[in-house]
Amino acid sequence: MTVSAAPEAALSVLPRADGSAKYSHAGYTITASVNGPIEAQRRDEHPYEAHVDVVVRPAAGVGGTRERHLESVLQSSLTQIILVKNFPRALIQIVLQIESTPGNDYVNTKLFQASLNFSIMPALFQTAVLALLSAAVPMRATATASVVAVVSQDKEKKLIVDPSAREIEAAQSVHVLAFTSHDELLLAESEGDFSVKEWDDVYETAKKICCQPESQKAGIEMVPDDDNARGPDMRQFLRSTLEEKVAADLHWK
Amino acid sequence: MPREAEPSLNERQFVLQALQENLRLDSREADRYRPLEVTFGDEYGVAKVSLGKTRVLAKASAEVTVPYADRPLDGVFQIATELSPMASPSFEVNRPTETEVLLSRLLEKTVRRSGALDTESLCLVAGQKCWSVRVDVHVLSHDGNVIDASCFAVVAALRHFRKPDTSIEGGILTVYTPAEREPVPLGWLHSPFCVTWSYFGEEGEMALLDATRAEEQVRVGSCTISLNRHGEICQIAKLGGTPVEAVILLQCTAIALTKVKEFSAYLDKKLAEDIKRRDAGGRSAELTAENDR
Repeated sequence: MTVSAAPEAALSVLPRADGSAKYSHAGYTITASVNGPIEAQRRDEHPYEAHVDVVVRPAAGVGGTRERHLESVLQSSLTQIILVKNFPRALIQIVLQIESTPGNDYVNTKLFQASLNFSIMPALFQTAVLALLSAAVPMRATATASVVAVVSQDKEKKLIVDPSAREIEAAQSVHVLAFTSHDELLLAESEGDFSVKEWDDVYETAKKICCQPESQKAGIEMVPDDDNARGPDMRQFLRSTLEEKVAADLHWK
Repeated sequence: MPREAEPSLNERQFVLQALQENLRLDSREADRYRPLEVTFGDEYGVAKVSLGKTRVLAKASAEVTVPYADRPLDGVFQIATELSPMASPSFEVNRPTETEVLLSRLLEKTVRRSGALDTESLCLVAGQKCWSVRVDVHVLSHDGNVIDASCFAVVAALRHFRKPDTSIEGGILTVYTPAEREPVPLGWLHSPFCVTWSYFGEEGEMALLDATRAEEQVRVGSCTISLNRHGEICQIAKLGGTPVEAVILLQCTAIALTKVKEFSAYLDKKLAEDIKRRDAGGRSAELTAENDR
């Protein structure tokens, strides 16, 4: 199975939803749809702000506690960037359908009780942001996310960006970080054993991926040094995806 | 969740009057399907079907479980259909709508009860271990005729699926991972497909194939016929609605057979193409551990 190194995305892939996006990166393929603002149910209605509803649906099997956990984490961080105060008593509904996850050829997985891996979080997050942009939901900022694993190799700690399923098994800790477009930390979730020093390293690496300043704007192609070549530039990716979409939409002009 | 918006009187009249003049909104003929397309993922057992603007994703998976006590020689086979708000905001999570119940029952009758999958071949150790095969149907976009699209997706996913190879030596069951042994296909007996007719007009005298959502909302009745390419009918469901003349139903069944033959040929072609794509190095014949019957 080939795993694409560079992230790929398509906006407005579903004809019926208000906004939708399909995103694939590091073996994960996710489709998201956003409907909103729509009428909220009585129990979800909030007098001052919109309720953000996130549904994560695994490709096979029924969702369990892990999916609910992912949903709650995504819900709380997305509520931060969506201008929820603009839509009192409304509902913004985000459905994330997982289509494929990177396979591990060395284990036969238990499939029916889907237990999602922690490392799917950045992919879910990124798809949700793209779908929100496609649905033209007003947001304070856009956001980018990445996953970094800390692996100990020959008594030395090594950071792996976008680890594979096997690397996660061997990793000591896995971290998911998301940053807004104002370079603010939006989400930090960690799993496993790690020290403060390690977390700082992870933070720097993730920040490099998520918040690279725009240097290529002037048309001068920068030669990427070794440090930058370690991971994709998520912010540039988000921007170019949207630019492509806008260019295609305004083609008639 | 908001209710599905009902078509206004004008819309309703427009669609119906156009049909009276033998015109459909997308200028199709009455017995013509929208372009049907199926694509397979990198994994085994993932089929994505698009029928016009309707999109369905089906994923087949398998795991070893204990068989039911009353059927020790049979494997477990289930089809899970859950419509998410992705298909339409009127669908709610964990609250099945009528559409969902009808869809899952029809798929059950068409694929499971017609014996398309040989459940006896899923048995590993009688009464102790068997394969449990599950197909998850995800409707990504609902623009009418979800039943036919879902049925096609389920059949495509199951025929594309490969389960891990196993062996029993001295009463010990070994399940091989994909890295150890090439997975094997399921025991498949026949491919049933659903063909849904929608009826319009006072006495249901107009019959259309593959209704879009707008057409589905104004129809007076529908009939789903499931059959395979040999013309063996698995089920016919005409649930409520205006009564339809028997002669019309017979005509519908005859046309359904020609459609199913087309589906069958198309799926065979697509599966062959996919096998060819995977077999890039031409080594799959060597890798397989399966014996010819």
